[in-house]
Amino acid sequence: MDNIEQLVASLSKEASAVKPAPHPFMLSLQWTIAAAIYLAVSLAISGLRPELLEKLHNPWLLAEIAALLGLFIVTTLSAALLAFPDLHQKRVLAFAPVVPAVIFLFVILLAWQADTPPAPLPVHSFQCTLSITLMTLLPALWTFYSMRKFASTHYRLAGSVALLSAFSVGALWLRLHEVNDSILHVVEWHYLPMLAIGLLGLWLGKLLLKW
Amino acid sequence: MRQSLAGDQRAYATLLTETTRLLRPFLSKRLRFSNEVDDLLQEILLSIHKARHTYDGKRPYKPWAYAIAKFRLLDHLRAHYSDQLRHAIDFDELEENLHEHVTESEMSYESISGEVQKLPEKQALILQLMHQEGYTAKEVAEKIGMNESAVKVAAHRAYKVLRERLER
Repeated sequence: MDNIEQLVASLSKEASAVKPAPHPFMLSLQWTIAAAIYLAVSLAISGLRPELLEKLHNPWLLAEIAALLGLFIVTTLSAALLAFPDLHQKRVLAFAPVVPAVIFLFVILLAWQADTPPAPLPVHSFQCTLSITLMTLLPALWTFYSMRKFASTHYRLAGSVALLSAFSVGALWLRLHEVNDSILHVVEWHYLPMLAIGLLGLWLGKLLLKW
Repeated sequence: MRQSLAGDQRAYATLLTETTRLLRPFLSKRLRFSNEVDDLLQEILLSIHKARHTYDGKRPYKPWAYAIAKFRLLDHLRAHYSDQLRHAIDFDELEENLHEHVTESEMSYESISGEVQKLPEKQALILQLMHQEGYTAKEVAEKIGMNESAVKVAAHRAYKVLRERLER
């Protein structure tokens, strides 16, 4: 008990005025704006796919991009909440990425079914995964760096969600840049690696967000 | 907490004391030994201090403090059980040694009694009763008014310290 009293005394002596962390909604808004700027700059440099406007008449491509955008927004919000020890007492929102993930999966399945006759596969393959991963690096670094300033008690999940959020920026960029209509290629080289990235995030979260 | 965040040291000391009072029963229910509870409480207070900027004073304090306490408790239990697994005896290893002298030891209590005397008083007494006078842990517990598992834990800690000192 004496030790605890001593500790309380020394901690209270150290206590100076502290600036509270920003609200997670503001935090996720900052991250979203930063990601939007990054995406816009990347697309300005690499260029949009030339027939994008025409292709956006395809409802399945539009639904896919909207679902991916939804996944990005909700994972960003969830990552911001998961950075707080008590999830800012918004537990339901913190675990909300399940919903856009299911919607996304559903959209991809329907788009796959609608792809008849199947569009020809592009000649490249793993280059897409590599490009998305490279595009993901900067947002991932930025998100992890910001999250380390807080105190996550769900560090594995936080790492996974943060990496999924960053990866969806990369996936969005490639979908708007690459001339490709094959949903099979997209599933194989764009979205399946997303699962691996999610698992990698569990490990990275433990490594980088533990405090 | 709001006053503490503004730098009021007295309010902060009161808050930490109240938090200790709040969390002690929570930890006591989940941990067996009072020294473990004290150690973990100190760790939790340090974590609360470190993470205090993540509390803005606009939402209830208790769920925030409990989230940190639960997180540290799980961490502690995880470390505790993985430590137990690391020190568990492998049956294969045991079988390999069975043909050797299992009742004789090269190291007698007398040969290390000097080191034993340097241990804290209670630990030294427990080792003396168990290894010099031949009492079981249960008998030692009755003799010195402790419970049996506390005696075993104290003996285990003493062995660990002795092992470290003798291996040096």
